[in-house]
Amino acid sequence: MTAIWNTIILEPVLNSLIALTNVLGGSFGLSIIVLTVVVRLILFPLTVRQTQSTKAMQTLQPKIQELQKKYAKNQQKLQQEMMKLYKEAGINPLGCLWPMLIQLPIWIALYQSIMQALGATPESLLNLSQHLYSWAAVGHAIPLNEQFLWLHLSKPDPNLILAILVGGTMWVQQKMVTPPATDPRQRSMTNLTTTMMPLMFGLFTLSFPSGLALYWVVSNVIGIVIQYFVSGGWGYLRAPSAPKPAAAPAQAPAQTQKVIPPQKAPPVQPSKMLQQATEESKTIKKASEEKKRGLFGR
Amino acid sequence: MVNMVIGLFKKNRKLLKLIPCLLILSLLVIGCAGPTFQGWSGFTEHDGILYFGGINGRLFAVDIAARSQNATFPSQNEWVFTIPSPGAPGTICGPACAPASSQTSIYATPLVIGDIICVSTYSGNTGKLVAINRLAPGYSEGVPQRSKGEWTYPSGVNSIGAIVGSPVAVDNTLFVGSSDNKLYAIDAVYGEKKWEFNTGGKIWTSPVFDGGVVYISNYEKKLFAVSSTDGSQIWSTELPASIASSPAVSADTIFVGTFDNHLYAIDRTTGKERWNFKGDNWFWSTPLVKDDTVYAGCLDDKVYAINSSTGKEEWQFATNGPIVSTPVLTNNLLTVASEIGDIYIIDAGNGNLVRSVHLGYPAMAPLLADGDVVYVHTGNFCVYSINIQTGEKAWEFCYSNIE
Repeated sequence: MTAIWNTIILEPVLNSLIALTNVLGGSFGLSIIVLTVVVRLILFPLTVRQTQSTKAMQTLQPKIQELQKKYAKNQQKLQQEMMKLYKEAGINPLGCLWPMLIQLPIWIALYQSIMQALGATPESLLNLSQHLYSWAAVGHAIPLNEQFLWLHLSKPDPNLILAILVGGTMWVQQKMVTPPATDPRQRSMTNLTTTMMPLMFGLFTLSFPSGLALYWVVSNVIGIVIQYFVSGGWGYLRAPSAPKPAAAPAQAPAQTQKVIPPQKAPPVQPSKMLQQATEESKTIKKASEEKKRGLFGR
Repeated sequence: MVNMVIGLFKKNRKLLKLIPCLLILSLLVIGCAGPTFQGWSGFTEHDGILYFGGINGRLFAVDIAARSQNATFPSQNEWVFTIPSPGAPGTICGPACAPASSQTSIYATPLVIGDIICVSTYSGNTGKLVAINRLAPGYSEGVPQRSKGEWTYPSGVNSIGAIVGSPVAVDNTLFVGSSDNKLYAIDAVYGEKKWEFNTGGKIWTSPVFDGGVVYISNYEKKLFAVSSTDGSQIWSTELPASIASSPAVSADTIFVGTFDNHLYAIDRTTGKERWNFKGDNWFWSTPLVKDDTVYAGCLDDKVYAINSSTGKEEWQFATNGPIVSTPVLTNNLLTVASEIGDIYIIDAGNGNLVRSVHLGYPAMAPLLADGDVVYVHTGNFCVYSINIQTGEKAWEFCYSNIE
């Protein structure tokens, strides 16, 4: 299993990274940045699909919540109704999951490549020799120069700069996609993902090789850019963290306000609201298709 | 039970959201754990005592006679000395030091100079030269004993870059290369620096001394010839790739292996390339030169015999794993260890296998030959004594349980 993983995924990424270092004048830091950009560009269609699926799912949230309330005591019926709703809106509920699963092995290979390529210890340098192609560009680049800007790429950044950059970019990215919540329990959950994750990654940066942290920063920045252009703005980053309870005259409108930005969520009657949500999700899906055709020329 | 779990997830959708986060975090932690190092020290034999650096930073003195009789360790003349991590309270810098910050390993082969045994250390970012009295090491006292001639370089809490290569000694001067790009000349009696030479690139190889000149390579593709008296540069040459092996000098030629899978022969006086030989991976281990033949172990699992004048292959022998350790030659028998732990005894004249010994543990440390016996230090914290005429293990010494 390990051999298959190494041959199909790790070694192509690792050797590309090293050959790229040679092409870029021996700068491994620059190579990490370029390869991260290239990989994200290759995966761009998947990322766009994931972003759009997520957004389309979010527009259906009011309707899902209404169904949850309606069929609170009948889980089987709830599942049926939800599947029906997804079908009507033309959404595959796993649509946002598959792109993530496909991307995951590539991210892991990138992590491993960065760690292995540096050959920070004699053992890891020897281990690297067993994963290299016989390309001249690879042989001439080894061992890699770990110096990049103020960083020693195989060692953690002694300053807090990289940790702040990792945490900050991750927070912005999380904030852009996470809708504000009124439910206190849901809000605490939201806070956990938008605050704790960046904080944890920021702390990881203090002990992980800075080459890896550099990859996180670049990857996050690209994620923010994609999110900005695909979703058409800063998303929930510019929206208030949670609507004020006073602005919720009735239960159903309050639920509407909690999942979509306030400026786009006028209080409506439940039946109209359901219709509106479905229409909105269809519009998003249609717009996505058109945008994709425009982006990729097909 | 399963229904309970499903029900729990249905009621708590946020738990579902947490799963991918936890999954990714676990992958990150597992897949990105920091690099580890253990060390692979070779041996020095002096007065029937075998000195070597154990895995994880301990220096051993093992009496060959006592080991062959399977006596309890330590017998007379035997000892183990723990080299502390930089900053650890204890022997290197005294009780005033801060707690240990990192592990210490030994890649270098220890060196005996009179009553002193000297070894260099690797602690990730930092390293030291440590000289202790081999007859009565100061391990019980806690600090290097000046009265016993013990010292460290640099002294106290100071350190230089991590040291992977072995020091060499000439007339009470030690030469050692460091990861901080410098070649150091150290007074072996007082532990004081005589001079240093900045090569401009990380040094992970051992220097070699011949005829008043120290030859040293670095990871910036350069090979230097440096005067041993004052550290002035005599010449330097740049190869197409960084140099992986320590240089070997024979007559008027220097042999080095590079990361572009070549073995180069360099003119000793001018630094010009004479020939190169291509393998299928790096020539990491130090080449061995005898008469007109260079024996070079390669990470492509083969050992090559190459004519030292022409660079033409005489023969090659395929093993079952990369060759990291430096081979040895005795009585026309070449002994080679593969990384996965098989020892091959080969006829040096024609490359035919005479016999092999299966150990089954990683063998990366340089071998030591003493008559018909070859000593092998393996990654399972053991030393094996192998009779190359019979292929039998004379004795083994495993030290993982020794305090």
